[in-house]
Amino acid sequence: MLELILQALYSGLLAGGYYAMIALGLALVFGTMRIINLAHGELVLLAAYVAFEMERSFGWTPLASIPVALVVVGLTALVIYLLIGRIRQDRELNSLILTFGIAIVLTNLILMIWSADIRSTSNSWFMDGVVLGDTLFSMRGEVIFCVIGVLLLAATYWWLNHTWQGRALRAVASNRDAAKLMGVNPARIEALSFLVSGVLATFAGVAVYTASVVFPAVGHNLTIKAFVITVLAGMGSVPGVLLGAVLIGVGETLTTTLAKPSLQELTGMVIFLLILFLRPSGLFGRKGMVKK
Amino acid sequence: MMKRFTSAVLSKRRALLACCAVGAVMMASPAMAAEFVLGSELPLTGKLARVGTGMSEGIAIAIDLANAKYAGQHHFSVQTIDDETNPAKAVAAVEKLASDHVVAITGGYGSNIIGPASEAAAKAGLVYMTSGGVAPELTQRGLDSFFRINNADGYGKAMVGLIETMGAKSVAILYSNKEATAAMATYVQKALTDKGIKITSHEFDDTTTDFKPIMNKVKLQDRPEVVAMIGYENDYIGILRAGAVLKPDVKAMVGVWSLATAQMNKEFHDQVQGVYGTSPLPYPVVFKGGEAQDFAAAYMNKYNREPDYLQQFGYVQTMLLIDAIARAHDNDGKIEAGEIARELRATTTPTMIGDVTFDKNGDNPNFTHRMGQHQGDRVELVWPANAATAKMNYPAVPW
Repeated sequence: MLELILQALYSGLLAGGYYAMIALGLALVFGTMRIINLAHGELVLLAAYVAFEMERSFGWTPLASIPVALVVVGLTALVIYLLIGRIRQDRELNSLILTFGIAIVLTNLILMIWSADIRSTSNSWFMDGVVLGDTLFSMRGEVIFCVIGVLLLAATYWWLNHTWQGRALRAVASNRDAAKLMGVNPARIEALSFLVSGVLATFAGVAVYTASVVFPAVGHNLTIKAFVITVLAGMGSVPGVLLGAVLIGVGETLTTTLAKPSLQELTGMVIFLLILFLRPSGLFGRKGMVKK
Repeated sequence: MMKRFTSAVLSKRRALLACCAVGAVMMASPAMAAEFVLGSELPLTGKLARVGTGMSEGIAIAIDLANAKYAGQHHFSVQTIDDETNPAKAVAAVEKLASDHVVAITGGYGSNIIGPASEAAAKAGLVYMTSGGVAPELTQRGLDSFFRINNADGYGKAMVGLIETMGAKSVAILYSNKEATAAMATYVQKALTDKGIKITSHEFDDTTTDFKPIMNKVKLQDRPEVVAMIGYENDYIGILRAGAVLKPDVKAMVGVWSLATAQMNKEFHDQVQGVYGTSPLPYPVVFKGGEAQDFAAAYMNKYNREPDYLQQFGYVQTMLLIDAIARAHDNDGKIEAGEIARELRATTTPTMIGDVTFDKNGDNPNFTHRMGQHQGDRVELVWPANAATAKMNYPAVPW
């Protein structure tokens, strides 16, 4: 039983790494613009399909396809921002409807271009087993992208706290009008947050393509997962995203091991509701951040 | 002489009249001919888009070949509505098709979608023909207008038959908790238990992507000889990848639908080697018989690739329906309520998937699947013995 629990914890940690990568982009936009980008999962999916296309057409490895995916997803994220920027009233609510519509358009675009077949990397190097101490098993791709995920989180945290753009982004998140008075251009900062969100979605998409399988309808599930983690984390909190993602990942794998695999999604939702009940602002959210 | 001339003119007139009469009869035939619009409600987007699209292609080929078969008599076309893999939208699609006066419905995928959609069709007085829902409950509702050409028992019999042939003593069943897969898991579990085989089972849901914790339980606790997978393509790949990492000491990995296919062999070649799944045909496809060859040629011509089981089922169900419609119409030049269903119940037709008849519940009791195994670049039929195209590789796992 100990072996099973250790493997579950290990798998949960690895899953947490890439869940965090998926969620961080959503959390960033949510934190700066109070916008829930319901097309975020589709951005992740788009990156996955770009990786697939590069592998199919040119034989590139998923890692080599990241620059191309960055351009495609980054541009798409900017287009989404420009569309949101045209909303003149009730931006929080209307952007929800707009991004939901964009998600449907993106899903169907992916369906039209790449069909509904399931896709995943055929590069066996990423699927080779990595065994730690004869007890902990994983695919090489999972380990690589978990490490990349944690590094991206650390880089984002550093960027938010130690660069002018990062501070400006936090200032806009905290008080848009006050930030304007300090010489910050909110529109430019919001565009930047969408761009960074696109970069994070790109890495997440390539990770999903490598470690799992993708098909056009999977974007919706990714958005839900990212949203749950974002709310768990507390608005815009990077450490919160990591902790929330690991909690969900470990919760799911322990449920599979100790109870029934079919209950793992329920476990994620129970953790979500429990933490919201105990800490309505999320794990790392401050009370002042929640609108009254 | 004059009399002979008059008689000749009269006989010419008679001949002319006879010709006119024949011409009139011949002219009358096209008047009896009819234009039939079939309705099709299918998931062309959403989670079941791949299988829905596959069936839709089979339906399109059936329409093309039916128009060739009934040329000069009847003309068939299909009006398709995407149900977006959503039961409520499937019901709305059927209601829209009924309001557009389609003659019957062919399509549907997913037992949970087909259930309400076929009830809507029944309320509208339309026959609903499918191959996309295998849950037993679908044919236990007493609907006179519901027909399907395949069922869970047929898939289950093939899986159980193969495992019995292997002589396995223990099996771990990993199954998705969707309606059709759960029903089939129950069938397989009971059938194997009755044969004295030790069974353990693990239910997962469709959001599961990491199967290592489940496969680790199989490896460390269950220790079966065979792993039976009852799910869909993404589940199979997740399970097989988890198996490749954990390397449980099993002798075979057996799945059901959507696994022993050309697509899986091509896309996930290394990961599916030695793996079994239901398959009506070997790959590369070998079609025997005139109709099957016509179907394969028409499909290749239209889509520029080889047909799979989805297109095959879509074609068979639609062709059976079209033949029933034509018979119902040709009886008296019109189709009365319940007449298509009566014609379908009278069907005893050899098809590409074997003989098809329908019982009082609309189920096809003759349906039994075959089992294929990925062997290199090919999918070989390995069960039953009389349909086998190659010897079964056993034990064999992809890792």
